[in-house]
Amino acid sequence: MSKDAIEIATEVLDTLLKFMGIEGKVKVSSPGLPAVLDIEGQDLGILIGRQGQTLAALEYITRLIVAGRLKSWLPLNVDVAGYKRRRRESLQRLALHLAEQVKLRKCAISLEPMPPDERRIIHLALADHPDVTTQSIGDGENRKIVISPKA
Amino acid sequence: MKDLVEYIVKSIVSEPDKVKVTEENSDQGILIKLEVSPEDKGRVIGRQGRVAEAIRTLLRVKAARNETRVRLEIL
Repeated sequence: MSKDAIEIATEVLDTLLKFMGIEGKVKVSSPGLPAVLDIEGQDLGILIGRQGQTLAALEYITRLIVAGRLKSWLPLNVDVAGYKRRRRESLQRLALHLAEQVKLRKCAISLEPMPPDERRIIHLALADHPDVTTQSIGDGENRKIVISPKA
Repeated sequence: MKDLVEYIVKSIVSEPDKVKVTEENSDQGILIKLEVSPEDKGRVIGRQGRVAEAIRTLLRVKAARNETRVRLEIL
């Protein structure tokens, strides 16, 4: 991603935080594709929200404004104190652990409801697994993953 | 409160000069009224109301910080 684009994205996110009354510092934690802007500061749980909904809204609005400025849509992720990165790692571990359980017990296991990006992490983690398959069931906020043994 | 809405909306519409934001205080909290040109209305609402809902989510963070409640009406 170009340096200008990252600078614009950082400035947009900084301005949003200022208007939201949040004291946080925006750092570029990955300049590649997608670029990751990580917000650092004290007491930022309020920026994550239930099931990460507030963070998703902040990311969406940041992308919209940046896309408007640059006249093109950029792959851009917003994180809060590494929350998404840590969450991804723990979901990947959880996926592999549950896949083992499914294989041993030969019965399906369903997970807690999760937002789309988190379900995606689980699907991808088990996509090439030799013994289990994954699917999402349910609607909206209740949509969740079921891990089943391969027939 | 209204400066957050103004910044977001003016950045995503095609006619920023026609954006009008007013803010009213009542015992139920703050009411923000947003007016944009008719052509821009779709942009600030978004598909299935996604943009408006995201703006409301960010407003709620600020409202929580100020220990108040906030409503956003798009006129």
